[in-house]
Amino acid sequence: MSRSLHQATSDAVPVWTIDQTVCDRTVLRSSPDVQGTSMDGETVLLDLSSGRYYTLNRVGSVIWEQCTGDKTISDIQAVLCDRFDVAPERALDDLVTLVNELTQEGLLQQERR
Amino acid sequence: MPVADQPKTEYLFSLYGTPVRYTTSSSLLTAPVEELLRHFRRDAIEETTPLTVQFYTVQDRSEIPLALSPSVRHLVSGTDVAAEGRPEDDLPYVVSQDGGRLLIDFTDAGLFVIDGANGRAEGYLLKPERMSDNLIEYLFHLTLIELLRHQRLYTIHATALEWQGRGVLIPGNSGRGKTTSFISLLRAGYRYLSDDHPLIRDAGGHIELLSFPIKINVTDETIAFFPELRNAPEQVLQRQPGFHKRGFYAEEIYPTGIGTCCKPALVLFPQVVDAPKSHLERISKSRALELVLPQALLVYDQEVARREFQVLTKLVQQVDCYRLHFGRDILDLPKLVTPLLEQVC
Repeated sequence: MSRSLHQATSDAVPVWTIDQTVCDRTVLRSSPDVQGTSMDGETVLLDLSSGRYYTLNRVGSVIWEQCTGDKTISDIQAVLCDRFDVAPERALDDLVTLVNELTQEGLLQQERR
Repeated sequence: MPVADQPKTEYLFSLYGTPVRYTTSSSLLTAPVEELLRHFRRDAIEETTPLTVQFYTVQDRSEIPLALSPSVRHLVSGTDVAAEGRPEDDLPYVVSQDGGRLLIDFTDAGLFVIDGANGRAEGYLLKPERMSDNLIEYLFHLTLIELLRHQRLYTIHATALEWQGRGVLIPGNSGRGKTTSFISLLRAGYRYLSDDHPLIRDAGGHIELLSFPIKINVTDETIAFFPELRNAPEQVLQRQPGFHKRGFYAEEIYPTGIGTCCKPALVLFPQVVDAPKSHLERISKSRALELVLPQALLVYDQEVARREFQVLTKLVQQVDCYRLHFGRDILDLPKLVTPLLEQVC
């Protein structure tokens, strides 16, 4: 089953709300059940626990490649601002929306430190 | 008689170095399997631990000697994707896992127990005397595909051809022009690899495309496009009991013969369009992988699925991928495809 996460949409239901303190302390890590590959700037993910697969666009791919367990949400926000012509608030909005979706789908794990 | 005591006959096959021993207690279950694997038949196999498939006949489900552990868990059920694109797709199924064994229950057709790690499978076919040969062939093929997956030989639901050492894959569901485009290339001198289920494997530096030649099944609509099929004698283009398609062997109509293995160079995703001319639209690798995954990957065993995903990724990275908008110029398709293959070194 294919699921597309091309767009970070504003009407997505957040799993949790992130404030700046949380952003500074929350580290993101991809689930060990997920196999992913990057091609032409996009990323295709296969969730081995469900058989579902997903595609991330360029921004989503950059976010995904940063989810290695050693970067906080704030770190990743800074990477987005560095790589794309985007305001910090918009970058954080899109980041949080995608993180919520990925978490909800079981593709991403969060750790507080 | 208990199924374990039924007298059995043994048949040997070898698929690209993977030996297969098939035993069955029923002559009804012989011909469809020999037909499916007719290019792989052997009189002897050297390997001491071949893949083993045993098919039994039962008249009632209570005869199936299966003991389930308390840890059995349901994986998936439905009527559509137990295996891809076959005429028996509407057969209800339930897939469960019991330790290392995969259980595929086709309710009225039988139960299949597949131990991929140990290369063994048993099938208990319920009243096979009322089944068509196509259904028995499908049930065996499904079992074999799952065993081969564990041997790093993967099946993709596609037609496949070879042209001067370069492979063309045309994946897709029924009704998308897969077989029609395949025949259009076949009649232009491309060599036949498979009408429906070629194999792929990782050869290290590249992915190999391996032939799995079976009878080519065509609808009357497809036959109408090609003069050599329209004019083929009844004994060559055979009607098949219980199946709406007619079948023929490629080598009986097209002289170029059957290829063995090659390096895939091109993947075409067909889509029939109401237009006079066909055209090709290049698509991204990630889009191509998205389109290939449902034609190949079923996640039953996580490690096997992980490896298969990597092989499919490598395949897509290796080839050029196009959407084929397949118009009414069916016989001219080679003029569109061959120049692309000529560009590949």
